[in-house]
Formats: sequence, C-alpha cells, structure tokens
Amino acid sequence: MGEKKSFWKHLKAWVDGEEVILDADKYIVSRSVKEKKNWGGRYSMENIKGNKKLYGFLSVAISVLFIGIMLSVVNDLPEFGNPSNPANNEVMERYLESGIEETGAINFVAGMILDYRAFDTFGESNVLFLAVMCVVLLLKKDKNNYSEKEEAENWEDDYFDENEKRPILKVGGKLLAPLIILYGIYVILNGHLSPGGGFSGGTIIGAGLILYASAYGQKKMQTFFTFRTFTLICVACLLTYCACKSYSFFTGANHVGYEIPKGIPGNILSSGFILPLNICVGLIVACTMYGFYALFTKGDI
Amino acid sequence: MREVIAAIFIIIGLIVFLLSIFGIFRFKYVLNRIHAAALGDTLGLGAIVVGLMIMSVNFFAAAKFFLIILFFWLSGPIATHSIAKVEILTNKNYEERVREK
Repeated sequence: MGEKKSFWKHLKAWVDGEEVILDADKYIVSRSVKEKKNWGGRYSMENIKGNKKLYGFLSVAISVLFIGIMLSVVNDLPEFGNPSNPANNEVMERYLESGIEETGAINFVAGMILDYRAFDTFGESNVLFLAVMCVVLLLKKDKNNYSEKEEAENWEDDYFDENEKRPILKVGGKLLAPLIILYGIYVILNGHLSPGGGFSGGTIIGAGLILYASAYGQKKMQTFFTFRTFTLICVACLLTYCACKSYSFFTGANHVGYEIPKGIPGNILSSGFILPLNICVGLIVACTMYGFYALFTKGDI
Repeated sequence: MREVIAAIFIIIGLIVFLLSIFGIFRFKYVLNRIHAAALGDTLGLGAIVVGLMIMSVNFFAAAKFFLIILFFWLSGPIATHSIAKVEILTNKNYEERVREK
C-alpha cells in the first residue's frame, strides 16, 4: 500500500508541475557530495598560454597540418585551362552559343544571374532583406531597449550634427554625393550591357547615401528617407521581382509562351526582364547598405 | 621615349606607396599614421595615374584618368581630415599625447 500511496503522490506532484523527492530529509543527509572535476582550470587559456613551449609547438603543428591538407588538395586539382576540365562542360557551351539569343543581354553574367539562375538571385535579395530585418529587430530603438543614458548620448550626437561646423566635409559631400549616386544609377541601368549590375550599382548608391548622411547628419536624411520609405522600397522591389520571375516560371520556365519582347541586343531597352530585375536588386541593396549604416550609428533609419 | 617617361612616373608612384605602407605600420599614433596613408592616396595614386595618362591611346582615355585623379584628390583628403578631426575632438589625452612625441 505504501508504494501505491507514494506513486499517487508522485503523480499528483507531476500533474501539479512540481517535482518532489520523497523523504527529502533522509536523502539530503545520506547523499554524498559529487566531486567536481576542474576541467576548465586544466585546459583554460591562461594555463595553455603559460605553457609557452606546448602552445608554440601546437600552433606550428596545427598550421603545418592544415597547410599539408591544402597542398595535397591543390595537387589533386585539375590543370588550369585544360579543355577537358569538369567546368568546361555543355552548360558553358550553351551559355556562350545561345546566351544572347535566349536572354538578350550582352553582359553574360547579367544574363546568367538574372535569367538562367534568377531564383538564386531572388534568394540572395531575400537574404539581404532578412539580414537588415534582423538588424532592425536587434538595434532599432524603442521604449523597451532604450535607456536614459543612451538618449543623452544620442541628444549629444544630434547637437554636434546641428552645431558643429564642418565646411570641408559639407562641401565635399555636396559635390561628391550626387556624382556617386548618378554613377550608381548608370551602373544599374547598364547592367545588361556592360560589367556591373544590381549588386555593384546598389552598393555605389548606398555609399553615396552614407556620405551624404555623414556630412549633413541623419536629421536631414530623414526628410526624404525614413523607415517607412525603406520598408516600402524593399517590399515593393521584392514583390516586383517575385511577380516578374513567377510570370516567366509559370509560362513554362523555358520562355515558351513568353510574351516579353527581347529587343535588339545592345539597346538600353532590351533583354526582357533583366533591366527591371536589375533595378529591383539595386534598390534593395542600396536601401540595405544605408539601413545598416543608420541602424549601427543611431539605431534608427 | 613615351614609355620611359610613363615608367618613371609609375615607379615614383610605387615608391611613394611603399613608403606610405611602411609609415602605416611603423608609426604608432593615429595622426602620424593617417598622414602616411594619405600620402599614398594622393601623391602615389596621382603619380601612377599620370604615368598611365601618358601611356593612354587617345584623348578621352586620358580625360577619364584625369577624372579618377580628381575624384581621389577630392575624396581622400576630406576623409583624412574628418578622421583627424574626430581624433582631436574625442581623444581626452590629446594634449599629452601630442606633446609626448
């Protein structure tokens, strides 16, 4: 009977969400103290660094081991420029022979990343958006993660932004930022004709925005670029990209029944969807670059 | 003749870059180091691009090189100036540090 009673006791405790040890007093008296093995002390950083000889020997040995592994792999690599290499297969031939016909882009890289492998690029844009969303989640200031001390520091920064005279930086920013942004736009719009494209052009535009923000302060930047604009641009670009690629995907993914005209290769308005996709990617990258800068310096876009 | 003059300019630029890299690693204080770094960015890059301008095929290529010089000579000194200003404004031991060396 005693056992059954204790079983019910256990069950009741389990249902209540507590853990009871029956006859706790006896258990506490009779239990022996566990020996703690001090693994941490034996293998801690100070101990290893104190033993300079072993440390030096181990570092050299590990380096030599890794160098050996790398060199043995290099030994097994195929010869550079050999026509029978695994990289020189029918995929490359297809790209070189019918790339212009199928994509309409003179810049093969743009044709590849925005036409043949456009879903891969869509994933990359999503990764950028996700990264900036994580930074927003962690660093954007609101009531819960914002102390008075930080507020005072921020106020000081704003005070410096408004009252510090930075004539050289301001003149430089005024001269350079529009040129940099213009060059970025050129790189994006010529993505299918010349080297460049969405990612590089977007980075250049982001650099121009960062230069302007550091010269004139974030208050002035917020007159035309707020958090709302940032979210709107990012989401609209991702949705446009998704819609464009879904269209070509659902019409057969192989350009069967694909009504978008390719145009003459070499013209600025050619190569189907590559130009709008480049613009979308470029806007996302530019917003992301500036968003990182603004969130890490001020905690607000 | 043209190649020789261009080579002389490019070698001068490379020597300046070498000196600036030595300076970046040998000096200990920020202001000394940005002085060395800015040397490479302005004089070294200017000399190399002038050498390339002499070697370039036509007028428009040379004009593009000139735009590169213009951009770097505008942006590099401004960046150096801003870094130095921040160092002077935020380093509390600035007076001691400068008088020491």
